[in-house]
Amino acid sequence: MEYLIHLAILIGIYVILSESLNLVVGYAGLLSVTHAAFYGIGAYATAICMTSLGVNFFLSLLIGIAVSVLVSVLMGFVLSRFRDDYYALASLGFNVIAFSVFLNWNALTGGAFGIPGIERPNFLGVVFSSPLAFLLLVAICVALVHLFSKFIVDSSFGRALKGIREDEEALRVFGYETHFYKLIIFAIGAGLAALAGSLYASYITYIDPTGFTINESIFILVIIILGGLANLKGSIAGAIVLVLLPELLRFIGMPNEIAAQMRQLIYGAMLVLLMLYRPKGFLGEYRI
Amino acid sequence: MLLPQLIANSLIAGAIYTLLAVSFSMAFRVTKFFNFAHGAIAAVGGYAVFFFLQAFATNAIIGIGVGILFAGVLGFLIEKCIYLPLRKRKSSNTVLLVASLGVFTIIEALLAILFSSQFQTLPSVFGLDATVEIFGAVLSGIQIVAIVASVLVTTGLVLFLRFTKFGKEIRAVSDSEEVSKIVGINTNALIGKVFLVSALIAGFAGMCAGFDTGIEPTMGLQLLLKGIIASIIGGLGSIYGGALGGFLLGFVENFGVWQFSGEWKDAIAFAVLILFLLLRPQGITKQ
Repeated sequence: MEYLIHLAILIGIYVILSESLNLVVGYAGLLSVTHAAFYGIGAYATAICMTSLGVNFFLSLLIGIAVSVLVSVLMGFVLSRFRDDYYALASLGFNVIAFSVFLNWNALTGGAFGIPGIERPNFLGVVFSSPLAFLLLVAICVALVHLFSKFIVDSSFGRALKGIREDEEALRVFGYETHFYKLIIFAIGAGLAALAGSLYASYITYIDPTGFTINESIFILVIIILGGLANLKGSIAGAIVLVLLPELLRFIGMPNEIAAQMRQLIYGAMLVLLMLYRPKGFLGEYRI
Repeated sequence: MLLPQLIANSLIAGAIYTLLAVSFSMAFRVTKFFNFAHGAIAAVGGYAVFFFLQAFATNAIIGIGVGILFAGVLGFLIEKCIYLPLRKRKSSNTVLLVASLGVFTIIEALLAILFSSQFQTLPSVFGLDATVEIFGAVLSGIQIVAIVASVLVTTGLVLFLRFTKFGKEIRAVSDSEEVSKIVGINTNALIGKVFLVSALIAGFAGMCAGFDTGIEPTMGLQLLLKGIIASIIGGLGSIYGGALGGFLLGFVENFGVWQFSGEWKDAIAFAVLILFLLLRPQGITKQ
């Protein structure tokens, strides 16, 4: 039972990550390969606030989101100059830079050793220490993120984003400040990824840089492409499938070290097969 | 650190980046997409040499040769089995890029499964780890090999593209694949050959990096990024620009490290890339 709750919490965290990335990649058509950087910024900001400054989890979470949004706006200014392949490359570059900051800014991030001893959330004396209580918290966050994302994509703002994705020039002719739209959706995606990072840090109670590499960004990308770009339900389904699939490897008795590599092998192969046979993913409404 | 050593270190790094940049650029010329698997091929080169040196323990030349050839053939097969079908389906460059990300992920995981994710060193052969002192800088045999090879490969490729029929066909395809087909060039066969040569050079670069510092599964990403960055700085698609970018990146990184510290190498390299993309996206050599 504990194990099932653990998986449900992980799925919840990945649903947040994939829905937020889908807003950027699927709806706005910006191929971002830097989502793990924001996930990491949220996790680190929360961990640092809680362990070094003794700030409450919920305040730390907000700080994490704020830092992530701030960084994403700065990045977004640079990224808004690029398109397609160059966008992917430059965003990947930001992930490398973020990773090297997590790894090398020892005084702040603890370097390769990371930050241990992060506490579980405490809300006015109610501590979400049991897995079930934490699952409840994650479920609430997932619901809020899903409703918020749904609200965005159904709004006129979301329709403008899809317009930009299909034909940016045309939207500009109609007087839309397309750069501004792209920057906003990128910042929203980053803020939501930071929320997932905060939850992860507090749940695992220990973070180190290896969780926030380019491979993690690619993994989130595989989730949304598998589920389908520009489809939020697809992202939920994708997260469930791709979090559970590697767990099967553990059931057939594969050692942990190999299982981690097999997981990477599987999602790499999945990416290639999807591109070859179904670039839209299963429920996709947009193809790259 | 002494200035001569600093210059030598920049040249060594620059040589390996140059090998990656020119091979990346050459493939980019005919396919026009960012092949993120290119660095992984270089890593395969390092590992294959590691493996075949043990398999052919009696003859190191064969070991090294088979290792590099293995990387080349793998590059060729990836083109035939994945990129070619995608191009036939008229997939966008972005789809090819995402597929190559997948290939990169697969190769990295496979290397870790087959050889463990630990850092390993290649055995010493032909006294390649012996050092000599030149103008007060200490260089090892493999480092000199890398520097010489980078110069030879660059000039060789430039001459090859200019004067041979194959080279002219490559230039034709890079201008327009459609028109090349019309005038009777078998473009798919040509692109296959280009991938083979490109992967051979990448495999060689991976071997140099392996002998020089050692091998680990994640080395491919490092090599790829430096190669892409160098070729963009120099001007994508230009061979001679790739060499210029490679050595420039080598110098910037090493002098930057002298100022800050070793761990920030990657961040410095990417800062240079982003500056270039913003200020001069066409690179140094192109107008």
